[in-house]
Amino acid sequence: MKELNELILPDDVRFTEEHEWARKEGENVRVGISDYAQDQLGDIVFVELPEVGSSFSKGDEFGTVESVKTVSELYMPIGGEVVAINEELADHPEYVNTDPYGKGWMIELKPTNPAELDELLDKDAYLKQLEG
Amino acid sequence: MKRTPLHGWHKGHGANMAEFGGYEMPLWYGSAKEEHLSVLTKAGLFDTSHMAVVEVKGSNAFHLLQKCFSRDLRECLGPTKRPLTPGNCVYGVFLNVSGGVVDDAIVDQLDENHYLCVVNAGMGGVLTQHLLDHAEGLSVHIRDLTDEVGKIDIQGPAAAKVLKKVLQDPGAVFEGMRYFSFKGHFEDSSGPTGTVLLKNNIPILLSRTGYTGEFGFEIFCDPTRVTEVWEMILDAGRDFGITPCGLAARDSLRAGAVLPLSHQDIGPWPFLRNPWIFALPFNEDQTGFTKDFTGGEALLEIHDADYTLPFIGNDLRKVPVTETTTVQTLDGSPIGTVLTCVTDMGIGKVEDKIYSVASPDKPVGFAPRGLSCGFVKVKKALKAGEAIRLTDGRRAITVTITYDIRPDRTARVPIQSML
Repeated sequence: MKELNELILPDDVRFTEEHEWARKEGENVRVGISDYAQDQLGDIVFVELPEVGSSFSKGDEFGTVESVKTVSELYMPIGGEVVAINEELADHPEYVNTDPYGKGWMIELKPTNPAELDELLDKDAYLKQLEG
Repeated sequence: MKRTPLHGWHKGHGANMAEFGGYEMPLWYGSAKEEHLSVLTKAGLFDTSHMAVVEVKGSNAFHLLQKCFSRDLRECLGPTKRPLTPGNCVYGVFLNVSGGVVDDAIVDQLDENHYLCVVNAGMGGVLTQHLLDHAEGLSVHIRDLTDEVGKIDIQGPAAAKVLKKVLQDPGAVFEGMRYFSFKGHFEDSSGPTGTVLLKNNIPILLSRTGYTGEFGFEIFCDPTRVTEVWEMILDAGRDFGITPCGLAARDSLRAGAVLPLSHQDIGPWPFLRNPWIFALPFNEDQTGFTKDFTGGEALLEIHDADYTLPFIGNDLRKVPVTETTTVQTLDGSPIGTVLTCVTDMGIGKVEDKIYSVASPDKPVGFAPRGLSCGFVKVKKALKAGEAIRLTDGRRAITVTITYDIRPDRTARVPIQSML
């Protein structure tokens, strides 16, 4: 298990209390789960993602991530329409473990309200939550 | 929370720790999947010092176990039903008067009227009390050895090759070492089971048993030396690709091998209609028992017990097992509950046949993603091949009732072919 000071927490993403991350990519926003989440879950063996074109509000469940230990729900950090999903995860779910903010991204959104991104936790606030 | 003597080693090697049976135990170190696969193809090492040992000794020791343990010790070994003798061990259960499970156990016979009952974490005190409750008027000493015995398991096809490097006189030790036999003792002794020494002179009890369905051994030793033994075996096993393994791999391996987790797959409900009733002392025509024992009378009176059945999934997806997880027929009628649901990451389906990564006839390039498996407890007698639905209300998976799960397991392979 990683110690808190070993966690990768990039400066260019925002976090949710449920351990998703969101990063602005041009007009769109990419979403995945944090290094802390993947470390806690252990080997990710399956990621269930929504159809491209589906729309969700902030906080909606958009998929599940299955580890050797359990099945966990994924929640929308902000509202929006899914414009792309990471299809490589079908064959390589382990990318969520090895590169949670890069090759392990899950969905790309067209935000309903881009300002929702600013309401998410920044690195320091997220770390503070993890420290409890 | 209690700790085993290896707690510091686990923490120092990055284990993800969690509570199990009152102990803080490693779930996995790096990857539970790699740990699981390592046991199927190489070797894995498990800290099982959380398990408990209860010693039963004295002129009425046999009598007490005949009264309380589910196996008839006069006829329990092998297909010819030989009696239990020193150096052999047998799996069974201790039942309460209602036929519910107090705990499951492996009973090792050390000598005439001298036995060890190996039980689950936190159960040393419980079994000791249970036996004392039935020992009135009997001449027997019951000793709870929880915390006085260290235990580690080496499991996997390379297990004997690894131990060969750390044992004094491995040839003599492995000679005639059948499945469910053992040699030596964790205390210096010269009983009928002899002495097994490691190269650094630590005495061990070496038992050809385990909880993975694969070839391997359970090793009992002085708890103050268990870390030394652990490191010595890891060191000797490096060339064979040995991996320290946590409880996650232990759970997925044992489920794939159709072995029950006590207090989860068997528990305080009648020990009937499950895959493990071979542990009951049935007579030849299965109409009664060959001996009277605690819980036996109650079992013979029960005719409406639930059915505990193994299942296998179509892919690796699981359902989380919670209080609200149910088993349904395909048309949605609830028929029971899910006891265990895990993924055996070493198996996969190719054209409707299930192979393991260790199957000799596996297809070229076979790289399975795993299949979910486990046990359900249902009101209805289902046959192998029947499909059912498991759901926690959010997710539903369709699985199939089966007799067996992971094929080509190695637990019973003769030791000579594993050296």
